[in-house]
Amino acid sequence: MQMVSTSAFQIDLPAALIERVKNGDTAAFEQIYRRFERPVYTLALRMLGDAEAARDALHDAMLKAFQRIAQYRGDAPFWAWLRQIAMNEALMRLRGGEGFTVSMESAGVNSDALADDAPAPWAHADARMLEQALAQLPAVTRSVLWLYHVEGFTHAEIATAMRKSTSFSKSQLARGTARLRALLDPEPEALPCLLPTA
Amino acid sequence: MSSANRVTLGEALRALPLAAPPGDEWTPLRERLQPLHTRPSAWRRYALPAALAAALAGAFLILRTPPASAPATVAHVGASSSTNGTQAVQLHNAQNAANQPDRLAQLQQRSQALERWLRETGRDAAPLQGQDLAAAAEIENLIGLVDVELAAPRQTRAPALWQRRVGLLEDLAALRYSNYRLAAGGQLAASWQID
Repeated sequence: MQMVSTSAFQIDLPAALIERVKNGDTAAFEQIYRRFERPVYTLALRMLGDAEAARDALHDAMLKAFQRIAQYRGDAPFWAWLRQIAMNEALMRLRGGEGFTVSMESAGVNSDALADDAPAPWAHADARMLEQALAQLPAVTRSVLWLYHVEGFTHAEIATAMRKSTSFSKSQLARGTARLRALLDPEPEALPCLLPTA
Repeated sequence: MSSANRVTLGEALRALPLAAPPGDEWTPLRERLQPLHTRPSAWRRYALPAALAAALAGAFLILRTPPASAPATVAHVGASSSTNGTQAVQLHNAQNAANQPDRLAQLQQRSQALERWLRETGRDAAPLQGQDLAAAAEIENLIGLVDVELAAPRQTRAPALWQRRVGLLEDLAALRYSNYRLAAGGQLAASWQID
């Protein structure tokens, strides 16, 4: 994992709370649910781009977390374990939809080839504009962007989860970044010297 | 893309507000939690019947594996997600604490061999269908959960985790093996050996 991640999932839980859930205490699980409802829902919503599908993913992810909590050994933080379940639920839905067969035309794109020093338009975009631009990306591309930038997964981890290659993850990141840039800054101001004279 | 721009996009995305589901999602979830204590998990409902169906074919594959210093059945105990399985693994680990580095290395090698075999046979096998596909997806998700714990800096129970990983890969190999054999026209691929 990249160490720069500040994922909303990063909530530490008391070990005693997890032990209570392992013993079947649904009241204890409700405490966990309340703390992680929004992070799980947000991850699903960003990946799937659909509120109803995100609701289903939230429900099923939490159900599986409860079912499988006996297998959680406590070597990793609980939030990372739960996040993996949430990501798998969203990916399962993506695979089932048409959006997962993403065009491979950018598979050969090298992310470094898109490097430039132009001001990043997202630095000046408000949340609504950024969300609207994100919503216009293909689901898989948006998922890669989110998993990489927000959740801090590496390309190798994303590739494994998506059952794709590392270069696929890199190309989707490059493509999504370029697309976001274009969506947020569609028409750069024309240079005065290029304007027609009266 | 320059690292400065990458950080900027990451910061912008991380600054977006968390979304909340439109309604009360806890109540319907709670209603489904209670009966779970008295019935088998989804993993067992879907995966075990399929895994058992593939077991006869898979047994051939697993039996061909060169014996490790510890009995092969121990890995299968580790594959079980049951509490009894976990206790058995813990007992085994306590008894073999002195040999833990060797045991860990053996498990890691076996995990790599199984992954290699799955990757190589996956190219020739027909796509899994129906219940087998669902079972394989479940097993892969469970392997992902084990990997989350293995990736953590603190691995106090690494041998137990690796044992569980190997067990899950063996389940996946059993599923894939029957499928691979079918794709090969029913001829036993005796040249395949996990080592």
